[in-house]
Amino acid sequence: MFGYVEPDKPELKLREYEIFRGYYCSLCKTIGKKYGQIPRVTLNYDLTFLYVLLDSLDTAPVNGRRERCIAHPFKKRFVVYSGSSADYAAAMNILLTYYNLRDKWADEKSIISGSGSLMLKRFYKKVKNEYPEKCKIIKHHLKQLQELEKNGCEIVDEAAEPFALIMRELFQGGHIHDEMANKALGWMGYNLGRWIYILDAYDDIEEDIRNNNYNPVVRQYKYNGENISEFKRKILEPVNFSLTYSLSEVEKAYSLLNIEKNKGLLDNIIYSGLIVKTDKVLQGRGKENEEKSV
Amino acid sequence: MKKNPYKVLGIKEGASYDEIKRAYRELVKKYHPDKYRNNPLADLAEEKLREINEAYETLMKNAGSYQYQESYSQSYESGSSQSQYQYDTDAELEHRIRSYINMGNLNEAQKLLDRMKSRGASWYYLQGLIFLRRGWYDRGYANIQRAVQMDPSNFEYRNALNNLNRQSAGYRQNYYYRNTYRQDPDMCNICMQLWCADTCCECMGGDLIACC
Repeated sequence: MFGYVEPDKPELKLREYEIFRGYYCSLCKTIGKKYGQIPRVTLNYDLTFLYVLLDSLDTAPVNGRRERCIAHPFKKRFVVYSGSSADYAAAMNILLTYYNLRDKWADEKSIISGSGSLMLKRFYKKVKNEYPEKCKIIKHHLKQLQELEKNGCEIVDEAAEPFALIMRELFQGGHIHDEMANKALGWMGYNLGRWIYILDAYDDIEEDIRNNNYNPVVRQYKYNGENISEFKRKILEPVNFSLTYSLSEVEKAYSLLNIEKNKGLLDNIIYSGLIVKTDKVLQGRGKENEEKSV
Repeated sequence: MKKNPYKVLGIKEGASYDEIKRAYRELVKKYHPDKYRNNPLADLAEEKLREINEAYETLMKNAGSYQYQESYSQSYESGSSQSQYQYDTDAELEHRIRSYINMGNLNEAQKLLDRMKSRGASWYYLQGLIFLRRGWYDRGYANIQRAVQMDPSNFEYRNALNNLNRQSAGYRQNYYYRNTYRQDPDMCNICMQLWCADTCCECMGGDLIACC
């Protein structure tokens, strides 16, 4: 998956960092408990963010305890415990990874993605039984995305829409029933999804040109064999606007939510983490010390 | 259920008059209708602002200072719906398109827009608004920019374009404002300041750093 949504670590308080990691561990453990050990490797930061966000709309205090796990057998780590948000985020994590791997398999035919998607299939089926409606909608958008990519869509906005709509679907959380909150969450998801998709496209320009893969940014700005870094410089301004404006909309939606806890952590992600990541990618440092899963 | 006004304003109970006022000003800026213009969440922002106004009024009443009940929300009305256009069909269409956009019915607005005959500045402007509302900021920006180029004297178009630039710049600024560690004085700065201080001292007849 993409995994671009991260806190800005240097600005984070230690306590906040612990809590973020606690949520991360909790999501991982929930996946393990509900679906088995294999899909735990699919864990990603975007979904961890969703988990923290949804859980923070709830007034119950953050609960947790120190535990060991397979990844860190010698040191006990803080793990958050929360009910429905964790289950929901775990299911969506599997769903998204499965679709992503299948998509990769379809257009790149890499062995990792092919065998990965085969391995995830049975877990996906379980999620499908739990959230049939979500699966249907997300599948529909993914089909549209494949269609657009097949036809070589030349409009970045249009190409970004299916993934943005998928994220909207994920953010309008299964267990949040407040209509207003869902509206704001949905808009936040749309804009965050759009940001992820465009940022990922910009990040992959070199690779996609080299392998002759579809890339909406390359298409829209009509790359014609020039020097790649020159091309990137040329399109920097409009891409930067598009990304930053999307983030400003994320912020607008975020500020309308009633955040009951973890405000420092969430503020850090919304006001610093996202823009720091944007700048990293725009300056061509996006692939540095990445901790992407899958 | 009425919310705790202190919580709404994000301040501690028993906050001073100045603190309340400062928090109130900040929040009004944050949820200002200008910021949410042409945004699907405008109604939520309005609701929030209403809550904030209410909370502020309650607190101010309790503080016994009635005269400070200025309410910001009334003073902003959308200044875009005056129709000084002649009554030809396109102008009529434009009027209807605008109201569809305001209602958030983008499909209908797009349909009408496609029916407009002239592709003048106003057409590009409206197309830009529809794109923005859908979340297609790249297209939206390009269309509004085009409208401004075609009719540079139009205040509304220019204003919309400036607003777009301001929004994205504002988001960035917020980051620079929050994170000061990245602008902490570096070595160069420190040396410069030391040198200045030394020079000043020497002017006054003393010396801060003996070797220079």
